[in-house]
Amino acid sequence: MPRSEFAKKTLLGVVPADSPFYAFHPVTRLTLLLVLSVAPMFIDRPEINLAIIATTFGLFWWGGVRMSDLKKYRLLLVTVALFMFIVAYLAPGEKAQLTPVSLAGLTLYWEPMRWAFVSYVRLMAMLFGAILYFSTNRERDVLVGLRTLHLPFPVSYVAGLSLRSAGMFMEDFATIREAEQARALDLDALSLREKVKLYTMYTVPLFAVALRRADEISAALYARGYTLSGQPGTGGKRTDYLRDKFVVRARDWAVSLGLLGTLVVIAIVSRTTSVFSVQSSPLIAFVEQLLGIG
Amino acid sequence: MNAIELNGVTWRYEHAEEPALVDVNLAISEGEFVLVIGPNEAGKTTLVSAIKGLIPNAITGVLKGDVLVFGDRVESIKPPVLAKQIGFVFADPESQFTALTVEEEIVFGLENVGWPRETIGERVEWAARITGVEDLLDKPPYDISGGQKQRVAIASVIAMQPRILILDEPTAMIDPLGKDLVVRICAELKNDHDMTIVVVEHNIEAFAPLADKVVMVNEGRVERIAPPREIFRDLDHLLARDVHPPQVTQVFGRLRERGLYHGELPLSDEEGFAGWRTLLDGAAR
Amino acid sequence: MATNSAAGNSGKIWAVEEGERRSPGIIHVVMMALFIGIGIVVGTLGSLAIPIGFVSAFWPGQAVQAVGATWFGAWGVIAGMFFPFISNAMSGSAPIPVSAAYLPANFIQGFLAVAAFKLLNGDPRLRTVRDWTIWVVFGVLVANFLGAFWGTYVLSWFGLITDQARIPALLGWTIGNSIPSLIFGSILLKYVTPMVIRSKAFVKGWWA
Repeated sequence: MPRSEFAKKTLLGVVPADSPFYAFHPVTRLTLLLVLSVAPMFIDRPEINLAIIATTFGLFWWGGVRMSDLKKYRLLLVTVALFMFIVAYLAPGEKAQLTPVSLAGLTLYWEPMRWAFVSYVRLMAMLFGAILYFSTNRERDVLVGLRTLHLPFPVSYVAGLSLRSAGMFMEDFATIREAEQARALDLDALSLREKVKLYTMYTVPLFAVALRRADEISAALYARGYTLSGQPGTGGKRTDYLRDKFVVRARDWAVSLGLLGTLVVIAIVSRTTSVFSVQSSPLIAFVEQLLGIG
Repeated sequence: MNAIELNGVTWRYEHAEEPALVDVNLAISEGEFVLVIGPNEAGKTTLVSAIKGLIPNAITGVLKGDVLVFGDRVESIKPPVLAKQIGFVFADPESQFTALTVEEEIVFGLENVGWPRETIGERVEWAARITGVEDLLDKPPYDISGGQKQRVAIASVIAMQPRILILDEPTAMIDPLGKDLVVRICAELKNDHDMTIVVVEHNIEAFAPLADKVVMVNEGRVERIAPPREIFRDLDHLLARDVHPPQVTQVFGRLRERGLYHGELPLSDEEGFAGWRTLLDGAAR
Repeated sequence: MATNSAAGNSGKIWAVEEGERRSPGIIHVVMMALFIGIGIVVGTLGSLAIPIGFVSAFWPGQAVQAVGATWFGAWGVIAGMFFPFISNAMSGSAPIPVSAAYLPANFIQGFLAVAAFKLLNGDPRLRTVRDWTIWVVFGVLVANFLGAFWGTYVLSWFGLITDQARIPALLGWTIGNSIPSLIFGSILLKYVTPMVIRSKAFVKGWWA
């Protein structure tokens, strides 16, 4: 897949300007987010959610996302897994009704452990769906997607300003940190208490900056004729120049309807059959066989 | 009818003890290029904010007197209508950016006033061309240089083709090349589009040749209103207020004070060269 | 919209003065948007600092919710409800359906602080013991307890914790969130409120 040397900065990373994701309308990408976030909720079978995760990673690669940008989630994957399994171990529920399993000298209970695994895989499928969306879309794409869904202009405007201001505050925060590190501050050597103190010191000025920016931005909005409702001076409907530049094509309809249709089918199948249930999982059956259960 | 009229305007900011403007009377005709000068904290920005209607609509305080724009009280004009009549470029260009790309920044005001899509496209193209930001349309406005930011800010305002354009210290935060571009844009707007332009500036050198009128503000009061050559005659008065006329004007002003030069005070280098030629011709005879 | 008080100096901060006209304006919408931006930064960085994921074991975002609501009324409550959507997604703390289910918790974590300050005439500048008591009891402890109560219910509903783990998770969540909230929120209220109440964005009623 050829990659442009020009990159576009997304909410969470960078993708090439010719990423295949940009061939699709922002509302199509929003639909993908919806489906990837919601579909795993109907699926208990871990191999299917693992397949969704694999597909998501395939989309990361296909879209040209820098895979190294995903490394920052490694620690989260481990800590969340540890947390869920430790909770399942310490608080398994009514032990009399559970199947004990002996492992490395510990007595675990199979059902809560199984459920922790199933829920963990489901959670990761949903999380990476959202990370995919934020890694492949710019703020502008989020706004066009929202405006295409005909949300009131002030709502999309607030969304855009929020995302923009988050970026500004992140930069302000990073600048303060860099300035401190330039003065030989070693963050790794700090205790948690010192980190908390430092963190608080960094963020308090952000609020002062926010107040000043609010005054400036509201004056600028007034100066450019903006009203609270977003309604134009002529009355009637507001022209949405940006939204109108993005055309919903046949492929957008095909992909969006395909994705939504898939979601509906998954929901129906989940409610009416046991195809997506844990009991239908060959992987779980295999593990149970290994452990001598059932 | 004047484009702008201030009648007995006094303004005190909320929480302030002293008024920032005191009994200001000012009239600006349509098509005039007015330069507002004065020391720091004189009330220059407050003055133009009152003309734009930011005072009292967006800034809290106590206002007395009237500000009229084409005969209507500025407080009574709705923001979208006022935006079509008066454009305002803030001193810090980044503080007025609210959109995620330069194009959206230019488009935003046009959508607010209610222009249809085709007109918006034409206006964006026109404004981008005049300000030289055609190549920046897809970029985030906060991710470009200071000079580019100021040009984007100007583009986003002039796209609405206001009848009056106010620029508050437009060259304050930009490099010399950027400054020249801003001055060139103002000259084009004045000469080719007959816009009424009000510029607040410390960099008098660049704007003096364009100005029809100079308003000298000090301690919240309008001390003098006169054509530039007339105002710049009283050099000591200006320098005492930390207002620096163009260097060429100062040089010839001093020569005039010593009786060595009797011509018009030059406002630009070109006029200065002509002045030197006159002096040297006179000396040769 | 206006809330008058006759109970000492503390209550006067909420009182609309005679002749004072207050109405919702662009400044409030802008401040709400900027506060969502701040919440995204604080929430994302706080979650990444201690990445236990969906369990809010150290989340300074609640301080932003409570303080934002106190300063900006309903606008702050709305900001507090919605910024976790973005911060959770960007930090990988919670997927969007879980964030959506958290909405009632996000509402209460902001609303309780502002309701307590207004209805009990507390001064958000935390000048007296009474002000501190209102803040700590309602803005920190009860708000986080109720937020955690709903939050752990959401987690067990999504199968992310077992039913038996709800109580320990509730306690851990309440305590773990209350600590950054107490530290961070108290500093903001004590030292930043004087600046905020002089700004046009400060809300005395609920919307202006």
